[in-house]
Amino acid sequence: MSGDTEVRRALQRIQAPDELEAQRRAWPLVRGAFEAREPVTWHRRNLIPLLAAAAVVVLLAAVLSPPGRALVGSVRDAFESEAPKAKPALTSLPAPGPLLVNSPTGPWMVRSDGSTRHLTPWWEGAWSPQAKFVAVTRAHQLAAIDPHAQGEVHWTVSRRGAVHAARWSPQAGDRVAYLNGRQLRVIAGDGTDDGVLRRRVGATPPAWRPGGDRELAFATIDGRIELAETDDGRTVWRTRPGEVPTQLAWSEDGKRLLALGPRTLRAWTDNGQKLWTIGLPVGPSGIAFVRGSHRFVLIRYSAATGRSDLVLYQAESNPGEARFLWSAAGDFGSMAMSPNGKWLLVGWVNANEWLFLRLTASKVTAVSGIAELFGGSTRRKRVEDVFPKSVSWCCPASP
Amino acid sequence: MVGPGRQERAWIRGAQSGSASDLEALFREHWPRAHRAAYLVVQDAAAAEDIAQEAFLAAVRNLDRFDRRRPFAPWLHRIVVNRAIDWARTRKLRRETAEIEHSDEADTGEFGNPFSDGVAAGLSALQPEHRAVIVLRYLLEYTPGEIADLLELPRGTVNSRLRRGLDRLEEILDRGQR
Repeated sequence: MSGDTEVRRALQRIQAPDELEAQRRAWPLVRGAFEAREPVTWHRRNLIPLLAAAAVVVLLAAVLSPPGRALVGSVRDAFESEAPKAKPALTSLPAPGPLLVNSPTGPWMVRSDGSTRHLTPWWEGAWSPQAKFVAVTRAHQLAAIDPHAQGEVHWTVSRRGAVHAARWSPQAGDRVAYLNGRQLRVIAGDGTDDGVLRRRVGATPPAWRPGGDRELAFATIDGRIELAETDDGRTVWRTRPGEVPTQLAWSEDGKRLLALGPRTLRAWTDNGQKLWTIGLPVGPSGIAFVRGSHRFVLIRYSAATGRSDLVLYQAESNPGEARFLWSAAGDFGSMAMSPNGKWLLVGWVNANEWLFLRLTASKVTAVSGIAELFGGSTRRKRVEDVFPKSVSWCCPASP
Repeated sequence: MVGPGRQERAWIRGAQSGSASDLEALFREHWPRAHRAAYLVVQDAAAAEDIAQEAFLAAVRNLDRFDRRRPFAPWLHRIVVNRAIDWARTRKLRRETAEIEHSDEADTGEFGNPFSDGVAAGLSALQPEHRAVIVLRYLLEYTPGEIADLLELPRGTVNSRLRRGLDRLEEILDRGQR
């Protein structure tokens, strides 16, 4: 070997496989992270005292103005970040409407007075539009049960593959979409006319478009998001490939769709026009639309600090600057918006608590012992293994 | 290390002020070498892509704190190479554990040599730390003093790793030619 020169030449000739494609894949993530950051302006870097004075003025304005006219409209900028003293038991819900909780022990219904009912022997469930029924699944079975009448089964179907992620169509409630292995199937609300909509899809729970009762959004195995007309199976639109999301969520008016993945959050209009992608740090995450708006709350975890933030973005042509709502050490899990849009329920996993954040005023209440309330025991298991995985507050426009 | 050129300073200033097009110019300028450096150290295409991506995401998160009088590349390459070394060490540890547990099973090739021959093939026989200094020296063209600063190592350690790395490469290549 002729030494340095040969090594230099050889190394500079080597290309990483798929170099250009890797670059194409990376740029949207980098740009997303860039758009999601809160830039430090020259003024912020150089005129801290002025900014502090301005902040005092802004805070005074916030304090003196009525909540409805506060700085960002109906949602307050930030809650006090100190953890509230938790109540030892859930004695009531702060807003009308029952909860459906999917915990590792199965689905549970929670009434307004805080009383609970375990919907055995099912593994997970989803509300029908008016909370009259719950679509429940277990192993190979899908059923519609009446949660108010001792879980009476109205109909049931069995399939060969594993059945999960049932979602009832939001308005007429005449259809239920569900995953059967890799298949996406749709069945009528009375348990008849069961059929395949797509043969191979991603594992993401599908999401009915509010206002377009027969239109269903789902993820393909290569991370495309597709909107399909369930009457005839026609594809209304389909996006380019991307991350397979963990959650799809429609705004209440059915005009905006979000796809949350492990590393990205993507947004589209109802006609499939892409709005933006933002990069996310690796870690727990979740999204919930604010009712009657295109704004949504995102759980953003920071591995560097071990804290989770609740931040507010908008599903418009740009996500806007992140507005900080609340922060705590550890992981936030499931979120659910109350039907009247005034309260946000957030699962604070590490603390084994539920937080109820009043969005129109900086008020937070907490309830402890959530894992135990839904049949879990933290004596021998980690709290994250027994804490509820999802909650929906009747009657959500988008599951 | 020489300071950044006027163009790069302008991109950094623009990106710090919120210009996505300036950030894109920085990204396009620096991605290929960062990605390639990660690949040569970890020798796994998917991991290299992740590492380069993570490095850029870290750079974006810290962009506002970046002193634009300094060059961007060493800052980025420090992140890339350190992460690549960590990843390669972890993989080696996993492989050793797997070999102990499944010593009677054939190698699946999951950790196989992705390079066919020559200097590149020899590189994969080196320790990750040695690969890193070779890559920093001969791909990214840093001086031994600069490498010492980047990796926070004594200069003598960098020199000895370079020497041992080159000797080992030569030995492997000679064996291949016989």
